[in-house]
Amino acid sequence: MRVRVLIPLLVIVLYGVVPFALAGNNYVMSILVAALIIAGVALAWALLGNLGGMVSFGHAAFFGVGSYISAIVTMKLGVPVFAAMLLGGAGAAVAAVAVLPALRLSGPYFALAVLAYAHIFKILATEFTTITGGAGGILGIPTLPRVLGYDFGSKVGGYLVIVTIVLLFALVYARIRNSYYGYALRAMHDSEDATRVVGVHSTLLKALMLFLSAFMTGVVGAFNAHCINFLEPDYAFSSGWTMLPVVAAIFGGYRTLTGPLVGAVVVYTVDQLVFKSLIPSGHQIIFGVLLGVMILFAPDGLIPLLAKKLQWVRQPRGCRDPRTESVC
Amino acid sequence: MIEISDLRAGYGSINILWDLSLAIPEGKLTCIIGPNGAGKTTLLRAVMGLVPVTQGRITLNGRALSGTKTWEMAQEGIVMIPEGRLIFRDMTVEENLIMGAFPKKQRKRTRANLERVYGLFPRLLERRTQVAGSLSGGESQMLAMGRGLMAEPKVILLDEPSLGLAPVIVQEIFTILGQLKAEGNTIVLVEQNTHMAVKVADQVHLMQTGRVILSQEADKVDLDQLHDLYFAR
Repeated sequence: MRVRVLIPLLVIVLYGVVPFALAGNNYVMSILVAALIIAGVALAWALLGNLGGMVSFGHAAFFGVGSYISAIVTMKLGVPVFAAMLLGGAGAAVAAVAVLPALRLSGPYFALAVLAYAHIFKILATEFTTITGGAGGILGIPTLPRVLGYDFGSKVGGYLVIVTIVLLFALVYARIRNSYYGYALRAMHDSEDATRVVGVHSTLLKALMLFLSAFMTGVVGAFNAHCINFLEPDYAFSSGWTMLPVVAAIFGGYRTLTGPLVGAVVVYTVDQLVFKSLIPSGHQIIFGVLLGVMILFAPDGLIPLLAKKLQWVRQPRGCRDPRTESVC
Repeated sequence: MIEISDLRAGYGSINILWDLSLAIPEGKLTCIIGPNGAGKTTLLRAVMGLVPVTQGRITLNGRALSGTKTWEMAQEGIVMIPEGRLIFRDMTVEENLIMGAFPKKQRKRTRANLERVYGLFPRLLERRTQVAGSLSGGESQMLAMGRGLMAEPKVILLDEPSLGLAPVIVQEIFTILGQLKAEGNTIVLVEQNTHMAVKVADQVHLMQTGRVILSQEADKVDLDQLHDLYFAR
């Protein structure tokens, strides 16, 4: 019931209220866009990390590949920007093929293997100077176009595009989670053998999840490239594109759908707008402390914490937490 | 009918099954008993394709099963209910059961099969929204069996269902096994509880160190003789 009220309300606020209320404030608007970019990657990361059970430290690779491909196909081949963004996503998914051998690993081994893979793409972008411009980067990447008389290249236009992308991702996430495949992915955390026995081609499913997550990250990376109109390897493949979304997702609660979204928006906007005004340099320290406290006292993240405090979801009887199971 | 001939299988360089041959007749309950380390579980895992077969053949109604992947077994009508249950602990009871209906053919009949399983195991109906990790041992076993039945199997491979359970629960589990057998399912039961197993079985095979050392009709089994062989080294 609540969800049915909340979702239309959220859509009205995001599309009807925010753009008009903040249209005059370019600074806040660009911070919001940056926060949503992180939210998009956080959601893609959580899709793999939560549903797929694979914690990746290499999403910067998909982000960078998506941004480079989109930038290059628009500038060299004249592909329209929105189509190029999809190509950027597809390119990131193709890049994920290189990660496939790591799928047989799990836990920290997978995370580290992907971290190593991520560097391959950064080096490629630096060394393939004829296509990528090397360490000098690419300047003058086209902005989002004017469609039907509306300029998506403006701050508000960019906001509308990224909000739409993030909402679509959330929809895809929710659809997958509630399908047989979503169940299968969750089941795989407990026992991969048992999921195979019930008829799940677990390796294929994990690979598809990886491709989807890479695609989503690539699209967001492409959006970012057209938003800031400039790319260079150190920026496009910066570990920040992995770390910020991971932090945001875990802070928000990566096992929930809303956690990565709320986490990203809260972490980024509060940090930039509140903490930065309190401590202009070194403001990240406050977030460091907050994150530490959060992980110690509410490891499930912000959203589950709020849900518990406000009793949004009634906990099923019995113990949810396997760690406290023995007392049941 | 499943026919296993000359089977060798194991884990890497450690071979467990030594040229094992066994016929599992259709519609019967075949019981495999034997001490720890005899290779009973490995045999089931080899049939399911979870353990690589290095020699020999496994056929289902005359057709080789070697090319069939583990995840295709449920489509073929073969379901394993693993030892230690291997239920999905973070998911609810009902979600666990729905997972059992993962094969495409079964998805449409999920509702009907859920009702059937809840009919067999009323306890699961009471606990349907509860997280599976919070179930007792007996309930977990019922859940594992229910999950297996959701795929409407023709062949059920059941690995030590009585392991670590209270006698009352064991009784209940075996009653249900009897029902499943009466419905005409082919059942392979791996057990260490010889008394209960022999009572419900049609065929009894005793395994030791990767070989079958005794095969008998269940009604001809002399438990004392069986136990002598069982504990012989």
